Order: sequence, then structure tokens, then C-alpha cells
Amino acid sequence: MNTRFLALELRRAVRNGRYLIFTVVVPAVMFLLFVNLYGGGEGTFPNGLPVTTSLMMNMALFGVMAGPLSIGARIAVERGLGWQRQLRLTPLTGSGYLLTKGALGMLVGLPGILLVCVIGAFEGVRMDAAHWIGVLATLWLGAIPFVLLGIVIGLVATPDGMQAITGLASMLFGLLGGIWIPADVAPDWLATIMKALPTFWVKQLTQAPFVSGVNVGEALLVITLWVVGLSVIAARRYRVQS
Amino acid sequence: MTQTAVRAGAAVALSGLRKRFGEVRAVDGIDLVISPGEVVALLGPNGAGKSTTVDMLLALSTPDGGEISVFGTSPREAVVAGRISAMLQSGALLDDATVAEAVGLVAALHREPMPVEQALRQAGIADLAGRKCTKLSGGQKQRVRFALALVCDPDLLVLDEPTVAMDVETRRAFWQQMRAYTDTDTGRTVLFATHYLDEAEEYADRVVLMRSGRIVADGSVAQVRAAVSGRTLRAVVPGAADLALPGVRSAERRGDQITLTCTDSDAAVRALLARYPHAHDIEITALGLEDAFLALTGEDDR
Repeated sequence: MNTRFLALELRRAVRNGRYLIFTVVVPAVMFLLFVNLYGGGEGTFPNGLPVTTSLMMNMALFGVMAGPLSIGARIAVERGLGWQRQLRLTPLTGSGYLLTKGALGMLVGLPGILLVCVIGAFEGVRMDAAHWIGVLATLWLGAIPFVLLGIVIGLVATPDGMQAITGLASMLFGLLGGIWIPADVAPDWLATIMKALPTFWVKQLTQAPFVSGVNVGEALLVITLWVVGLSVIAARRYRVQS
Repeated sequence: MTQTAVRAGAAVALSGLRKRFGEVRAVDGIDLVISPGEVVALLGPNGAGKSTTVDMLLALSTPDGGEISVFGTSPREAVVAGRISAMLQSGALLDDATVAEAVGLVAALHREPMPVEQALRQAGIADLAGRKCTKLSGGQKQRVRFALALVCDPDLLVLDEPTVAMDVETRRAFWQQMRAYTDTDTGRTVLFATHYLDEAEEYADRVVLMRSGRIVADGSVAQVRAAVSGRTLRAVVPGAADLALPGVRSAERRGDQITLTCTDSDAAVRALLARYPHAHDIEITALGLEDAFLALTGEDDR
């Protein structure tokens, strides 16, 4: 991959005000809001996870979704502008373009996760270093399906339809993925849908070291299926367009 | 020299090139060889197949048949090597980048780009480096596209209707820049598609005329004009009866005023004066490229 190109793309992405607000500021502010709403402090959820820790993970996960989706939105705009055509007059290959956008999606997801976790530490989340690293790594790697989802949306949507589709995806994967409500309180049919989404399983993996009964194998299977499926769609879609 | 020998050193060699979109034969068997250093205008009305040809040359689309070679390699290899580059007709610019950033992004992708400042300077927009791409006039945007095409330092520059959105003033300035670019660096090959005849006449060494996916004329501006049989002879000849003269293809008479369309106007004028010594007000004019253009592209059989 062309690192200089990636660096320039990263600068463009990060400079975008909307990016900063939605992927870095909003998750952090939501986290603070919820912690104060729930009283934070000593409370624990029925599964044994402290309220603050759980909220921290959920809001970081929210950021993990938002960053990559914003990169996907840029793809739709670049397609609409005809910039992709311009890039095809360079040595950049189609897979190079998608890889760069993928790497970009992974990078822009990182600040949001870090900020929420730093705030978490200040708000009293306590775990040992290995667990911190595990939580951060799981959240970050958990961005992969959303990076791919962002790319697929970017390749499918028109620049005009982008806003709506991103918003919808964000709602769908967030709400039904169990970021805002736990699957335990959902009726069976809803819980089934929730368990088909990557969001739910990334959340499960993040919690795995702290609660019992997480099916890690199933989690990895569902996430892998999403990753493979979205990759195939992205590759097909890109080939059709070029 | 054999045909293959010519092709081996050619900047562009197309043979039997074909591309169809559904029922439409957009490009219908084109043979064309362009030598390094030539400035060639690809001329033709809308729908003649100019853009389709250019797209295939740039590896933006694949031909249905025939062969393309750019400096002896495939179009994509030439693009990757930075030997061919293009200013696209509708190539839009990033809405969230400055001029220098946009050019820098493209430069970062090429293997041996020229410095971004140099590309901006050669395109005449050094002063716009820090300007957002959204805050540019139409002519300035074209110059940014020009800089994007220059930054890989190509040997062959393809311009697809470069001045289509420009006013007269901007067009002239653009071509001045263009000429300065080709003059300072000999050996640069330029192929530009246009439907402005005056641009072809003024800036091209050679004109390739397309119609309905085929090349209908190819040569210097003078040759293409001559292809439509050269010159028109007008004279006042009282009492002229027989106008079947050598070198005349067709004759027209209105009163004493005659108009002869000549294949060889020298022979025609000699014969005319020999037969009608009192002929006067003789006027011989070359057909303009426009006449040639109309003659060659007008008889549309669609």
C-alpha cells in the first residue's frame, strides 16, 4: 500500500469537521451523559459488569461504527464527483483503492475508542493492563466489519442517498446490535435478529473476559461471515463499476 | 519502412479498434499511428466516437476488438509507468481538498512525479495552490485538471475536449499555456479531442477526422482541406457556355457569375482563360477546414 497516499487521505478525512463531531465527540459526550444518567459509580448490571464499564464499551463501539461509516460516505462522494476516474489514470489499482479506504476506516475509528476509554478510566473503570489492551484491541478489530460495511455503502449509494443510508445503518446496527438496549430484555424474535448482527458479537467479545457465558466461537463465526460476505460484495461491486 | 517498424517506435498505434454499446458501434474499426512529438487533433461531431477512443487509449474501457499499443505497451502499462496521462472532460475535483492537495494526492500515486509546485506552475495556477477546489472558476478548474495530468510528467498527454467549458479568453490562455508546454519540451506527444475547428487548425500538426466511429480523414490541416478537393474558383464570364474544364469537378452558373469546384485550380484557371479570355474578377479560395469538416462529416447516413 502507498503510505504517502494513505497519509494524505488521512489528513483529508480527519480535517473534516463532521468526522470529528460524529466519531470522536459524540461517543464521548454520550458516554458522559449516560454515566451521569445511570449514576455511574458502584452499580453493576445483572451480568455482573459494572455500569460504567459496560457503558464505556457500548459507547466506544458506537464510535467504532461511526468512523468507518463516514469513510464509506466519502467513497460515495468521490464516485459521484468522478474522482475515482481520475485515480484510474494512476498506478493505483482497484484493490489498492479499497485497501487504502479500509486502512483509513481502521485509523479513523481509533481516536474515538481511545477517548472513550480514557474518559472511562477517569470515571472509575478499573481493570488490569492486559484487560485494557484486550478491550481496546477487541474494539479496534471489531471495526473491521463496519469498515467493510462503510465501503459497501460507499460503493452502492449515491452521494445524495448517502446521509440517509448511513444514518439508517447506524441505527440498525447500533439499536438492533444491542448498543442501546441489551439483548436480554428484547423479545425472542428481536433477540434473534440482534444475534445476527456483528455489533452484538463484538460487544460480547469485549465483555468476554468479565462475564460468563460468552460463546467466543459463535462470536468469531458470525463476525467472520460478515467480513467475508461484505468483502465479496465490495470486490464485486467495485469490479462492476470499473 | 515497414508498417511494423513504424509501429514499434510509435507513441500510439491502433489497429482495427472496435467498441460497441448495445446496438451502437461507437468505434467501428480504427487504424491510427501517432509518432512521438506529434500534436494531433481528434476532430468530429458529438457521438463520432472520440471520447470512446480516448477512454480505450487510457485503459478506462476495454475494446471489443482490435489492438492498442501505447509506446509499445498496453494502455494500462503505459498509465502505470506514467507515460500517458489525460485531462478528462468531466473529471471532477475533490470538494474537500485544496488545489495543491489534490495534485499532491495524484502525485503520491505515481512512481516518478514532478514536484507539485512545478505542475502547478506549468499549468499556470501556482497562485491557486492553497485554494479550495470548490472555490474555482470553470477555467481555473480546467487548469487544475491540466496540472493533474501533468504531474506524472507524461510523454503522451491526452486532452478530451479540454476547452469545452471555457470562454474565448480562457480558451486562448489555455492554449498558450499548452503551447509553451509542448515547445519547451520537444518529444511530447499530444492528442486532443475537440469539436472546435479553429483549435485543430491552430494548434495541431495533424488532424484526424472521425465520423460515426470511423476515421474519415487523416493528415495535416492542409491535406484534410485538400481531401475535399481543394479550391473554389469564382469568376464573371459573360456568355460562358461550356464549363467542362480540366481540373474542375463541378460547375455552377448564375447569370454571368460562375463557381467552379476544382480538384486542380491551376489547370482550371489556365483552361478558363484560354477558352474565355474576357473572364474577369477571378477569385480562387481554399476550402476552409470547416468546409472540409462539413463535407466529410455532414453526409450522415444515420
